Amino acid sequence: MSKKKIDFSYPIFESFTKKLKPSRSKTQLALANVRIFSDLSWQEIKTIEQSIHVRQYAPNEPIFKQGDPGSGMYIIVHGSVAIYLEMVNEEPQKVAELAEGDFFGEMALLDESPRSAAAIAMETSQIIGFYRPDLMNLLKTKPALGSKILLSLSEVLVTRLRATNEDLVKVSRNLKSYLDEEGDE
Amino acid sequence: MSSQTDGVQVAPQSIRYFNQNLLRTLIYFIVLILVLFGAYRLFPYLMDALFMVVMAVVLTAVISPVIDFLEARGIRRAYGTVLFFGAIITLIALGVVKGLPALLEEVGKINSLFQSQGGESTIEGWLESINTRIGAFYPDFELSMETLTEMAAKFFSQIGGMVSGAISAGMTTVFVLIITLFFLVDGGRMMKRLIETVPNRYFEMALNISYQTQRQLTNFLRGQLLAATGVAVMSIIGLNLLNIIFDTNISGPFIIGSIAGLANMIPYIGPFIGMVPAIIVSLFNNMGDPAAAESFYYIIHIIVMFLLVQQIDNYLISPLVVSGSMQMHPLTVMLVILIGSQFGVLGMFLAVPVWGIIKVVVRELYQGLKGHHFI
Repeated sequence: MSKKKIDFSYPIFESFTKKLKPSRSKTQLALANVRIFSDLSWQEIKTIEQSIHVRQYAPNEPIFKQGDPGSGMYIIVHGSVAIYLEMVNEEPQKVAELAEGDFFGEMALLDESPRSAAAIAMETSQIIGFYRPDLMNLLKTKPALGSKILLSLSEVLVTRLRATNEDLVKVSRNLKSYLDEEGDE
Repeated sequence: MSSQTDGVQVAPQSIRYFNQNLLRTLIYFIVLILVLFGAYRLFPYLMDALFMVVMAVVLTAVISPVIDFLEARGIRRAYGTVLFFGAIITLIALGVVKGLPALLEEVGKINSLFQSQGGESTIEGWLESINTRIGAFYPDFELSMETLTEMAAKFFSQIGGMVSGAISAGMTTVFVLIITLFFLVDGGRMMKRLIETVPNRYFEMALNISYQTQRQLTNFLRGQLLAATGVAVMSIIGLNLLNIIFDTNISGPFIIGSIAGLANMIPYIGPFIGMVPAIIVSLFNNMGDPAAAESFYYIIHIIVMFLLVQQIDNYLISPLVVSGSMQMHPLTVMLVILIGSQFGVLGMFLAVPVWGIIKVVVRELYQGLKGHHFI
């Protein structure tokens, strides 16, 4: 009598291994992709998922207008978004095109100042909205998680500030050398 | 003019549209009448339900900071809410267990007083005293034993109504507490679901308005409650001090102080309402005392004490705890209380907080609409 090998492909084992393998929703994956949430555990991402708002936008539908009070950030789960800059007496200029996984408006989580540009969905898009009230509620009920997000947000700010400082130094150096050259001539 | 299609006589398009529109209008009209009739029939029930929901919203706004605090310390929202309600029910039960024997003892004392002195002669003595005092101002005034008996008979005939009223109030309280429990545990999710129905164009604005309104409302109600607690505590201490120092003989300082605290929620008029029970109780308690009958200084003591409490509240407590943006004009307060009085004593008490809620909602709505350039 030959020994029979145990067949692990039996459905019960398959379902068991499936259960062991964590399944992530598209929203969770999109959230984990965003810099300010990248240091969070999956459990924390799940908590954030309960706070965020998933919205559907039709093609050419505005997400926000320039000058609207800023109240939160957006993450593109599916679709694409165009950022327009409106100038006085001029046609609005497209300054950026954002695709799946991109995010924008994260500074509005801290600052209520008006939006500096307009965002318009270019096609049927699914977009996650994470707003200041959601962050405030998280800080109130889950202070540890809220603080982590704030810390990440500060890091983003610091990086941008440093980059802006470097640009400013470069510009001032160029300006100085240009003025020196002009003076020599 | 009629049109012919495949040999079938068809009415002109305009007439078909007219018929369709007429039918639609008729259906709308009938539905509207039915809805209005239903709303009219259901109005009292709808008002009851609305009252319970408003009360639950107010309670939720007051209690939620405690539940948030517990949640921030790792206790799940549902468990925190059950824990809070458990603690409150235990406190009430303890109050009943401790307070009931004391109340029964008081009743027993009064009973023994009547039996030892002869109830009727004591009441006659009281009537004589009341007639003498009030007669000094109004010579025609006379309160007789017969009038008192009639009043007592009337009172006892209304006891049935009072009992059913008390049961109904009890049921309303239970319903309000159940709704509050659900709001505390699931209020956030309910609000989220509700806001998700708002179209994209108004979504950010709706979310901001709801958040700001909730924040302002919680601050306003918390401030009111803290100020009321402050006034209640100071009044209780003050009344006890009056009893010790001047022997004012005010029974139940805890209840009188609590009433003064609650009455404090009504601006301008509240402080005077708060004084009334203390004055009435002290008048009744000192009725048989000849020394107290000679002068009414104890009433002045009470008034001074309450005025002092009011000054401390106005200049120390309220500026710290009550939001400055909720200042109301005296005329507004009078009108609001007048409207609230249409719904009884509770209406008077709730009128100012409800007006505060309406003011916050309207202000946030206006600022939100203006900020998003909708107006």
